[in-house]
Amino acid sequence: MKLTKLSTAATLLIAFGATATSITALANTARGLEIATAVDEQNDGFVDTTSTMQMTLVNRSGKKSERKMRARTLEVPGDGDKSMSIFDQPADVQGTASLTHSHAVKADEQWLYLPALKRVKRISSKNKSGPFMGSEFAFEDISSQEVNKYTYEYLGEDEFDGSKVFKIESKPAYKHSGYTRLINWIDQERMISLKVEYFDRKNAPLKILTFSDHQQYLDKFWRAGTLEMINLQTKKSTLIKFSDYQFKTGLTDKDFNSSALKRLR
Amino acid sequence: MTLKMQLLPLLAMAAISTAASAEWDIRGNVTGQAQYFTENANHTGDHKSNVSLSSEIELYQSLTDSTSITVTPFFRIDQQDEERTHFDFREFLFHQVRENWEWKIGLGKVFWGVAESVNLIDVINQRDSVENGDSSEKLGQAMINVFTSREWGDVEFYILPGFRERSFPGEDGRPRPSLVIDTNDARFESDDKEHHIDFAFRVSKTLGDWDVGLHAFTGTARTPELVFNTNTGKLIPFYYQKNQVGIDAQATFESWLLKAEIIGITADRIENHAELVTGFEYSFYGIAESDIDLGVVAEWLYDDRKNNNVPSTNPFQNDLLIGLRFALNDEQSSDALLGVITDLDGDGEILSLEANRRIGSKVKASLDMRYWVNQPENSQFANEDYLQLELAYFF
Repeated sequence: MKLTKLSTAATLLIAFGATATSITALANTARGLEIATAVDEQNDGFVDTTSTMQMTLVNRSGKKSERKMRARTLEVPGDGDKSMSIFDQPADVQGTASLTHSHAVKADEQWLYLPALKRVKRISSKNKSGPFMGSEFAFEDISSQEVNKYTYEYLGEDEFDGSKVFKIESKPAYKHSGYTRLINWIDQERMISLKVEYFDRKNAPLKILTFSDHQQYLDKFWRAGTLEMINLQTKKSTLIKFSDYQFKTGLTDKDFNSSALKRLR
Repeated sequence: MTLKMQLLPLLAMAAISTAASAEWDIRGNVTGQAQYFTENANHTGDHKSNVSLSSEIELYQSLTDSTSITVTPFFRIDQQDEERTHFDFREFLFHQVRENWEWKIGLGKVFWGVAESVNLIDVINQRDSVENGDSSEKLGQAMINVFTSREWGDVEFYILPGFRERSFPGEDGRPRPSLVIDTNDARFESDDKEHHIDFAFRVSKTLGDWDVGLHAFTGTARTPELVFNTNTGKLIPFYYQKNQVGIDAQATFESWLLKAEIIGITADRIENHAELVTGFEYSFYGIAESDIDLGVVAEWLYDDRKNNNVPSTNPFQNDLLIGLRFALNDEQSSDALLGVITDLDGDGEILSLEANRRIGSKVKASLDMRYWVNQPENSQFANEDYLQLELAYFF
């Protein structure tokens, strides 16, 4: 819908004799948004998912440490998704859980459950750029990706791992991001992300994320089985392996309110 | 106490025999602790070091899709203090989740509150205060609980039969006040003593940036008044009856958490009064381009008996907590919390440091320090400064 409007605007600009560069810029912005929207729509109607996540942190000297958690996501049409993470490893944080109600524009709501105290604590959702569980993934990397959270620019076509890709640049539209911009490599055929390059606040290359082992569920929804994030500046990396993906499990809003944290297992 | 000591092993055996026949999800820890006191005590606990071992194991089993049982035994064996050597079921709880409501029966643990220093509204459980200086460790409370989550709020109702007396360090325990608290001589206002049935109720709701709650409690006060016994020279815990209502609120605005807990208490045996804890928590994320977060906590604690010149045993009548919390966000989840509680009426400060770091994947090391400084002449904690090191193995 937005694309159509922007195209009309572009046509109008041409009609009024705007400069060629501004038309190209406008067209690239429109094209970027169009691709981002197509990627997002590809995922419409998943309703809910559950999965298991095994995270391996590798430091500069190659020493590994493991994290294990379970993830639950509920699709909220017209708003950001609701998601819950339950930690199983390391053992000292076992049973700790976090709940996020994400929103496209306004601040996310976030709660943390501390099992030793049986305490549910509402926490600040401002911490976008901090590391998630000591890994190379920032909170903003693993949070619900909404189209409105970024502005887009189409950069052109390329090839990645034998697949034809669209390259689009996205700039966070939300506050407190650790990035100036991201470059997304999108598989043209399946409209899914294959690679993301992150640029830090000084616009220096920071991290590279690659997605692999994609599988399609319910003949529609693509999910990557493996994510690898390499930090170019610290040489540390984090590998995430997803397993046990399930869709439409019957989760409801009630499973994603703060009191639900207390009955998790 | 003796009846409980006889019953508990039986219950444990029952739990274990059930455990043998079904799939239990088991998690827990075994923790070794060493304490060092920097000065000789000015009471009978004349030792400077202490070691102890504790363990808490949570056994969970889902019985059906909607029902589960959780059994959480805890014990500590202490070198010096026989009051600190103890066993408790933190939980022995049956839980059923229905379509629109849930209920629990058994021994359970409940947390109410938003503040970091003291949780005035946290009235359900008795504190296991031989465990540590703050009030985070609790004894399992017998309860029947009904919970329902409605459009207009979450509602909790509790029937609390069976009161638990607070644990206090014994003659040989440290840190402890110079005067011994004689738990064998506890007194009750109610003729039902520890069998008085208490009731509690809370309704809470998230309204955008605000989390608000309202609660009421009627029954035996968890925090006793301490009465000096002129015959024995010891303090006697006196458990009075009280009615309490209160509100709690937290506003979450970006890096700011603004908090308040306010309670009003009416009772026959102590003065009617109000207590307050209010303050903020502010977080600096990624300080100096690092991964380190710094949280600043400031909370003011107030008891209006202070203003009315009514004597009370509440140590926090007009006190300020300032805390700095560092989270390194590294692989070992290293963190440190530095706190100072200042008595604003000039009765000294309590300094504390808590630091934690994971070692490998299953062990956590914790260092605690607590210092009482600028204490008045008659201070009950004059020489009780200590360091404590813990190694906890998690499974």
